[in-house]
Amino acid sequence: MRRLMAGTILGTGMALAAWSAHAQETVRFWYHFDNPDNPMDALIADFEAAHPDIRIEAENVPWNSYYDNLYTAIVGGNAPDAAMVKLFAQPRLLEMGALEPLDDRIEAWAGKDDILDNLFELNAAPDGSRYYLPLQYVVLYLYYRTDMFAEAGLEPPATCEAFREAAIALTRDTDGDGNNDVYGFGFRGGRGGHDHWATFVLPQSNGFDGLTSEAGIAATQWVIDLHRTDGVFPPSAPNDGFQEIIGAFQSGVTAMTIHHIGSSAGMVEALGDKVSAVPVPECGGGRWTSFGDESTAILAHSEVKDAAWEWISFLSSAGANAKFNEATGQLPVTRTDSEAWTLHEQRFVKATMDSLPYAALLPNVPETSDFVNTVWPVAMQRALTGEITAEDMNAEIAALYGK
Amino acid sequence: MSRSAPLAARVLPYALLSPAVVVTLAIVFFPMLQAAWMSLHELILFRPNVMPFVWLDNFAAAFSDEVFWISLRHTGIWIGLTVPLQLLLGLATALLLNRPFWWRPLARALIIIPWALPSVVIALMWSWIYDSNYGALNDFLLRMDILQRSVPWLADPDTALYAIILTLTWQGFPFFAVMILAGLQAIPESYYEAAAIDGAGPWRQFWHITLPGIAGVLVTAILLRVIWVANSIDVIFVMTGGGPGYATYTLPLYAFLKARTNLDYGYGSALAVLFTVMLMAVVVLYLRRTARAVAQ
Repeated sequence: MRRLMAGTILGTGMALAAWSAHAQETVRFWYHFDNPDNPMDALIADFEAAHPDIRIEAENVPWNSYYDNLYTAIVGGNAPDAAMVKLFAQPRLLEMGALEPLDDRIEAWAGKDDILDNLFELNAAPDGSRYYLPLQYVVLYLYYRTDMFAEAGLEPPATCEAFREAAIALTRDTDGDGNNDVYGFGFRGGRGGHDHWATFVLPQSNGFDGLTSEAGIAATQWVIDLHRTDGVFPPSAPNDGFQEIIGAFQSGVTAMTIHHIGSSAGMVEALGDKVSAVPVPECGGGRWTSFGDESTAILAHSEVKDAAWEWISFLSSAGANAKFNEATGQLPVTRTDSEAWTLHEQRFVKATMDSLPYAALLPNVPETSDFVNTVWPVAMQRALTGEITAEDMNAEIAALYGK
Repeated sequence: MSRSAPLAARVLPYALLSPAVVVTLAIVFFPMLQAAWMSLHELILFRPNVMPFVWLDNFAAAFSDEVFWISLRHTGIWIGLTVPLQLLLGLATALLLNRPFWWRPLARALIIIPWALPSVVIALMWSWIYDSNYGALNDFLLRMDILQRSVPWLADPDTALYAIILTLTWQGFPFFAVMILAGLQAIPESYYEAAAIDGAGPWRQFWHITLPGIAGVLVTAILLRVIWVANSIDVIFVMTGGGPGYATYTLPLYAFLKARTNLDYGYGSALAVLFTVMLMAVVVLYLRRTARAVAQ
């Protein structure tokens, strides 16, 4: 009898332990963060203090293989419960059946009305549902060296023609050794540089529909000529990625480049008031710049969706969102944080706001992943090094999109 | 009892071997079979529920794929230059290190550094050396007046592959140096003395004593190195990711990018299987040598 009682007590104890373990749910969260000044631990501590029954296991996955890892983890059944995601990946994630619809949760969420206008619309999926919760945003603009422009008596370019003239004028040999050591524009020929190309080409090619048109081909040829004929990109441009274009601009090797407010703090630290920004130039009568989005999503297979929602909605709430963006250097998505925002110099915020009206996204289709990751970089590098023509390059991209 | 003892004796070696065999089967042979199986399917990772059996379509696609042939040619150059260069540099180093000088122990330790460094560190270090804006190589060549303007070594399709081959040569030569040095030290000094008495000069001594003495080590080291170099993608991946364009694509890198970045595991596996079949010739040679060495 005593043994039976002991057994019962032990059993009850185990059940209780199991219940309490169950009560504390663990949310696995993946994000990517280049900034070494990572606020995630502080954010998690804040969140866990307010939600003692939820534990966050956040993993910083390197950007270069972020999506490779995410897709593979989803197929392998080891995906996180929630993750940071960009719009270009949404069609593919939907095709994999990996995203949880958030419509009902967003409708019931108190923080909904604090999210900036249009962000939910921009993030909506082609089927009209919402799977993404906005987290931060940026718009690409043109950085330029105010001192170099002043010295050359130039104004920041408003059109493609003025851009080319300025780039040619600013490409020069400053130390008299017969070699150019300053280049007009830091072009990103490696992965992620499609935004540079798109800025110059898409307004003239009627987006992706007219890439194989005469105007579309001429626009790509114009970009290639900037490198091969005018020589206004550094010779390393075909391989250059984020680190290289930012490094070259900060060290004075280039006089212009295209990036977003996320790099402005580093630019000011390196160059002080010798750097400013304007919207990207107008090409062929139109403008195109990239809207850089970042959202969070809940993965469909998750068994702790409610807890995952608590966490991601916390990250997009006033206060936490500001803290997050102070570290990424991007812009908060809540009205409250936006109004109180003082992190960036006004000139960069203005360039961002001025660019918003024509900021656009890449086509919301699964092919965009391949466009960004392989098709564009390979074709652009081959075109810049003279292996293929502008016509070949545009035809490859048009073929990918079935245009 | 008399029957079970020989049985136990017969089973024991297998029992002792089985953990290693089971692990090898599980982590080497099973994935290999799986790759062969995947190569016969159309398997796009983001459509995991659609996986039609396509027979040899992926292989046929490879043979009519321009990038496959580009990558194959680069793989030929990659192996054909890297291994001989490593061998020559390794041989020269080993011969030097086999001579007595007071800081020889230190030199032997230092020479191993490139081999001991992680590939990613080597790749990043050499990317900076080759950088066209700040790189040490361009700076040096410009100051020496060998170059008139800086060369974007990794961004020019004519130089990118060779620049990486040089990096890999630097990384891999200590392996040859150490192997050959071990071979050199196994050659009895009396051979050289006898040859010297017979009037053989340094070159004849090298040709008739040193080279035959290290031939066994050389062949094994070359075979191993061919297999390793052929499969090595880490340095290329970090330095150029295959670019500019396809300028530094080798077959294993192409297979990796197809599977991992494009998520096309069917085609990626087919490329890997094709390359494995090609490498098989080298592997068979190596296995034969090992078997013969064991038999002796």
